[in-house]
Amino acid sequence: MKKHSFSLPDAALLLLRIFLCLLVVFPCVYAFLGSFKTADEFSRLPPRLFPDSFLNLSNYEAVFTLAPMGRYFFNSAGTTLLVCIVKLLSAMLAAYAFTYFDFRFKKTLFVFLLGTMMIPADTVIVTNYQTVSRLALTDTWLGIAIVSFAGASQMFMLTQAFSQAPLALRQAAFLDGCSDLRFLFSVLLPYCRPVWVTLFMQAFVAQWNAYLWPLLVTNSDRMRTVQVGISMLTSTEDTNYQVILAGTVAAILPPVLLFILVRRLISHSLTEGAVSG
Amino acid sequence: MKKHVLSALFSALFLLTSALPFSGLAQTTVDVTFWHSMSEEAGEALSRIVERYNETTGAEEGIHVTLVYQGKYVDSVTKMNSMLNSGDTEHLPDVMQLDATGKIVYGAADAAYTVDELLQEAPDTDLSDYLPSALQNWNVDGVQLGVPFATSTTLTYYNKTVLDGLGIPAPETLQEIGRIAAFPLEEDATVYACIPNTPSLANWLGQLGSYLVDCENGSAGMAERLDCIQNGALETFLQVWKDLYDTGALANREASTDEFAAGKLLIMTASSSTIASLENKIGGRFELGVCAYPKVNEASSSGATVSGSCLVMFDHGQEKREAAWKVIRFLTGPEAQAEFAMKAGYIPAVGSALQTDTWRSFILQHPQYAAGAEQLALTPVMMRSVTVGPSADFYYSIMNDVSEMLDQDLSASETAQMMEEDLTGMLEQFARNNR
Amino acid sequence: MLMSLKRHKKREQARAYLYLFPILLFSVVFVYYPFLKTALFSVSTVNFMGEITGFSGLDNYRYLFSRREFSAALGNTLRLTAINVPLTLLIALCLGKLFSNSRPGNGLFQTLIASTMAVSMSAASMTFRVLLNPTIGWLNAFLGIGVRWYEDRNTALYGILMVTVWMGIGFGFLLFQAAFRNVDRSVVDSARLDGAGGMRILLLIELPLIRPTILYSVCTNTILALMTSGPVMIITKGGPSRATTTLIYLMYTTGYGSGNYAMAACIAIVSFFLTLLFTLVSLQSNKGEGIG
Repeated sequence: MKKHSFSLPDAALLLLRIFLCLLVVFPCVYAFLGSFKTADEFSRLPPRLFPDSFLNLSNYEAVFTLAPMGRYFFNSAGTTLLVCIVKLLSAMLAAYAFTYFDFRFKKTLFVFLLGTMMIPADTVIVTNYQTVSRLALTDTWLGIAIVSFAGASQMFMLTQAFSQAPLALRQAAFLDGCSDLRFLFSVLLPYCRPVWVTLFMQAFVAQWNAYLWPLLVTNSDRMRTVQVGISMLTSTEDTNYQVILAGTVAAILPPVLLFILVRRLISHSLTEGAVSG
Repeated sequence: MKKHVLSALFSALFLLTSALPFSGLAQTTVDVTFWHSMSEEAGEALSRIVERYNETTGAEEGIHVTLVYQGKYVDSVTKMNSMLNSGDTEHLPDVMQLDATGKIVYGAADAAYTVDELLQEAPDTDLSDYLPSALQNWNVDGVQLGVPFATSTTLTYYNKTVLDGLGIPAPETLQEIGRIAAFPLEEDATVYACIPNTPSLANWLGQLGSYLVDCENGSAGMAERLDCIQNGALETFLQVWKDLYDTGALANREASTDEFAAGKLLIMTASSSTIASLENKIGGRFELGVCAYPKVNEASSSGATVSGSCLVMFDHGQEKREAAWKVIRFLTGPEAQAEFAMKAGYIPAVGSALQTDTWRSFILQHPQYAAGAEQLALTPVMMRSVTVGPSADFYYSIMNDVSEMLDQDLSASETAQMMEEDLTGMLEQFARNNR
Repeated sequence: MLMSLKRHKKREQARAYLYLFPILLFSVVFVYYPFLKTALFSVSTVNFMGEITGFSGLDNYRYLFSRREFSAALGNTLRLTAINVPLTLLIALCLGKLFSNSRPGNGLFQTLIASTMAVSMSAASMTFRVLLNPTIGWLNAFLGIGVRWYEDRNTALYGILMVTVWMGIGFGFLLFQAAFRNVDRSVVDSARLDGAGGMRILLLIELPLIRPTILYSVCTNTILALMTSGPVMIITKGGPSRATTTLIYLMYTTGYGSGNYAMAACIAIVSFFLTLLFTLVSLQSNKGEGIG
């Protein structure tokens, strides 16, 4: 009703939003500003938020000269996409089965799959190295990706989302002669696009930030990923924060670009839903 | 529209990166893979040295070194473990940089090619140039595993500007550090911050003539009990530590280089290899003083043990073995060691490096860099770094127990008893599992 | 008729297993098979090379439970979880609600807040380590306080909590703002016509409608919180005086850091059953939703 008029509570709300947003994003801003500082600026008192000069790019130079970062970005992008696609597809199929099919051991299997989330990742590393090495997959993209294909968390969320979709949707589609797979991919997935796009991003971020396994399973510089490159910026003895922060800023740019891209996808699908609804 | 721009950008990036050239090798050369854990300045210095080797000596001898970063020491040791565990020895490197945590596993590996085995093959190999204390550090159970490469020791760093201003000389003992608390200092300044861990405790016990654990701190066999209980060394040290805390000079927390660089912490004890980055952080705001590790008391001997990392080899046939050793000789030769020391703050591990002109003129300009080498020369040979199976547990348990003593005002003897229980329990458990 | 129904059921069963096959395969080969080895390790004597040398029954567990580190770790882990889960949920819910409608600038805000989830655990930990540094950190200087955060045993755990909660906000926000937008407007509008206030609508209509998202968020956050280890490893190393030691962190130092694979296995098993217990309880309390 007064949707488009501007009132005092609206202004207060906007201010609150700006404040909260800044508060949440603040650590990132701090990292960004810190990435332009020099080593001695960091330990100068009193601590200041802003660097002396935004033209001090030496930390970024360090990031890109220490290792073939271009190649690392390429490897990270490739393995991450591979993981996301296989993970989401297998989780979608499983979630579909759990939502619409009746079968024996349904609950047991569901909890069994959820159980994979409760196993500390690093307890399985040594055995997985043996398996991957036996499959002759060390030093390959598939070797990096294959251990992360199981996506119980994604399956869980998708099951929740699918069960929220009206049953009439499926009945109508089946009357039109849809098969299960066709219904899944051409009706159900478009219907809950925000959910799986969100999950895709979550999986993307998690894999993009993986460090230990990609390091273990690759032997050559050619196959290394971004996070391994970034760890080369920090020493065991001491820490040069400014360079790490520069590395961090460089490494989160690709996922953030993806976010901007994907956000359009989500809002697009939401308006679409609004129109048809 | 924007989508297209982005995707165009992405694909351009991919094309660019995938087209990046990767060094093609000449066919006749022997390729030596070298796994290292050096980052920051040390990483850069190492790649420059290896690059030079490949262009000069390596090119003449038909050897090409491929330098591969394998993460921090702890990561590369995990990697070595997994590969040995799965029998994947073919992908192990020819040369590997190993720190103390990898000693036990490497020593037990069949694929290892230790310096002892090398000596059997080539008995006239000369190891006399290596500093004895540094070389000894990589000798476990009488087997020489590798040779020292990135060598460091623990030193005292102090704010020379402030101490000079108060007329205080470089502190030599913990008591002298304690006396500083009586001087008029800035209100929020701390004199000294430290929580003892395995190496620092072993240093102080060593100064009192005691080992931390038996079998000469675990270097002559598997340690199964503490060696510092019956001779009272642990209790003596804990009492000194408590007294220091009572003077108000000691803060019961780990020192941070940032606090030191900001001028709020006057004294800290840290690895000699911290020096380069520490100077960067200080940025000339005050003068950095470097002196020997503090003594427990006037009567104790001085010095601190060697730490850092060594170079070890894995066996991939005779040709590779010989090439690997040549590479190691170059990397631990006088020139390479001197350069590495100057760039990264490590201590040259060979005597001849200390005699090079580059090192001498460097020391004249940067006298702080000499403290590490001087201390190593003075450290008694019986002071050995600690090799125990449960190394991480040991390390943190010592820190937690000593810190608890100050936090909860336990007596030195109570704390010694508590530490004996905790630490012996770990050693026994490890021994049970590895009999 | 009955026959065809039966055949239909059978076919449905077959198809269900077919659909489940990929994820089951990955889970069994790369998660459960290695985990089974872990379970075996926990009742064996295992040498530092990771080879089983004998059977030890429950000795490993007995030694673990007697360690002072273990009770400290268990307590800290439970405390972290008890605070982290409700706090993250509350913050994410509020932010999600506040930014869910299409007001000017919200698109930008949403992208900014959500993109915090792109920050890796180690980067977030490093940033907080600098930010909360008592000397060179900006926070203390800005607030004019002298809290020693990660160096004081009374505040260190809360410092770790700040990192873990912050890391959970981005994704939680994304989930909830999508959930709020998906709430059927017609239901809300008709309630408003009936005279329901904003708070009533939120509590009685919107929250029940987004219950599946809340359940998902609580479950996954509980699991993540019970397995907290990264920030501890990077910032405090479990100190000072064991104030921030967590179960999984103990698994690292006592297991991998100390060549004691049997002990690491014991902690993994304990942590697994603890997490399973919590998850089953929260699934049970939400009976009737989804598959439950």
